[in-house]
Amino acid sequence: MFGKGLVKGLVITWKEFWTPKVTIQYPEEQPPVPERFHGRLSIEVDKCIACGMCVNACPNKVIELKKQKVGKKQFLTDYVQNVQYCLFCGLCVEACPKDALHFTAIFNMNQYFYDNLPVVLVQREAPAEPVEKEEPAAKAGSGDKVKPKPKAKVDKSVPAAASEVAAGKAPDKEGQ
Amino acid sequence: MLKTQEYNLNLGPQHPSTHGVFRILLTLDGERVVKAEPIPGYLHRGVEKLAEARTYTQFIPYTDRLDYLAAMLQNWGYVMAVEKLMGIEVPERAEYMRVICGELSRLASHLIAIGTYSMDTGGVTGFELALRERETTMDLLEELTGSRMTLSYARIGGVAADAPEGWLDKVDKFMDKMPAYIDEYDGLIAGNEIFQARTMQVGVIKPETAISYSLSGPNLRGSGVNYDLRKAKPYSVYDRIDFDVPLGTNGDCYDRFYCRLQEMRQIVRILKQAVAQIKEVDGPVIGKVPKVLKPPKGEAYEEIESSKGIIGYYVVSDGSAKPYRIHVRRGSFINLGYLDELLRGVLLADVIAILGSLDIILGEVDC
Ligand code: SF4
Ligand code: SF4
Repeated sequence: MFGKGLVKGLVITWKEFWTPKVTIQYPEEQPPVPERFHGRLSIEVDKCIACGMCVNACPNKVIELKKQKVGKKQFLTDYVQNVQYCLFCGLCVEACPKDALHFTAIFNMNQYFYDNLPVVLVQREAPAEPVEKEEPAAKAGSGDKVKPKPKAKVDKSVPAAASEVAAGKAPDKEGQ
Repeated sequence: MLKTQEYNLNLGPQHPSTHGVFRILLTLDGERVVKAEPIPGYLHRGVEKLAEARTYTQFIPYTDRLDYLAAMLQNWGYVMAVEKLMGIEVPERAEYMRVICGELSRLASHLIAIGTYSMDTGGVTGFELALRERETTMDLLEELTGSRMTLSYARIGGVAADAPEGWLDKVDKFMDKMPAYIDEYDGLIAGNEIFQARTMQVGVIKPETAISYSLSGPNLRGSGVNYDLRKAKPYSVYDRIDFDVPLGTNGDCYDRFYCRLQEMRQIVRILKQAVAQIKEVDGPVIGKVPKVLKPPKGEAYEEIESSKGIIGYYVVSDGSAKPYRIHVRRGSFINLGYLDELLRGVLLADVIAILGSLDIILGEVDC
């Protein structure tokens, strides 16, 4: 029958008019983000041993990692995710042996200037001496070089925003 | 017949109906096509070459970008080739997860295919309806893999992660609702008289031609050739799953479209069975794989039935940690081989209908 298609179509349109809407009014309303979401990276600095496995696993050379030797251990000084090259594949997170690297639910990483795009996850100075308790014994012969309270020095040198960014607490402050 | 002066018309590369950056140089006589020269290459990224500078695992995210509408199927084809090269066993649960994620990807791809085809032939509602279900599919995929489009879910020797709690039931529930939605598309798009008038007896591909041009996927089956790798050369756990291969009869645009629609019904069947069967299977989702993958010298080819056709990966190893050479047999690219002859003599409006019915994706065409 001619016109049957039109009626059928209108029936569907009518039904569709009454079904609940799925549109989300972003940015007023934030979309639900599942637990496994591949957003921006975050790093737990205390867990990280600066082994560089994440850098090696990355197919696109996204991660820039700088480290310094402090005593016998490596100390992570800089950790930058160049999001503009990131494929959000998750190979870095999988490669981390210490479970220090994670994805966050932050997907809004846009910046006004291109230079601000890289996400600085860690930016700090290495302490001059190992922070561990056994340091006086290890440095018995070079007492004059020991600086008072290396830990305090580290804290002072880190800009307030950077340390918060490093802890993943202030995503909105990055790149400003 | 009345002749006018011939002229050239560039369709694309940025025309929405070319489904990406594809250009066809049409020579027209009035509204009839005299010659059609497809010019791909606007998206060429040299993916095959990029592989040579990366390790075997690192290439997985790049395969996503070939067919970004059904990323899992690309991942899957690639890891199967590497697994064959190295002789890695894949745990049973991982195989099921691959089937489930792969079929969801195929569903997402077919939804876009039928939705955009509806738009190509003049109906916008069909497109919006298809996107609605695609959204649910992508939400499911996102919950499983963390990404919506470029999933990077398959790993050499298994998959990246097991299903989260309650996810399988969600898939099952969605599949209960899906047949009603498919009926809706059937009524709204396929049942539409304008759509039928524009697609029936348009762009007919004969079965012999389809075979000799090595078309694959729904484009081949639309011509009535019963060849589906999942049946012809069962891989993974498809031999344990019961499903049919929908076939067309005339080989026209409508049949190719309808094949995809019917395939969606089969996807529902496959997913329902796979979800029921995976619950019986316990165990890890990734097999024993060495930390540094160094396949022995040699080569391997594996192919799977992707949503757009057969996707095959040819991997050559020289014994190092990086592939010596990778070549991808892309379904979309080969499906375009017959385009020139197919378009000769048709009207300009039918060019869009025919190109849309082939369901190409430019990531796969240009590679
Ligand atoms: S998600 Fe992938 S591309 Fe991005 S930093 Fe990690 S390994 Fe590199
Ligand atoms: S792999 Fe983990 S522990 Fe090693 S450098 Fe990267 S984040 Fe740190």
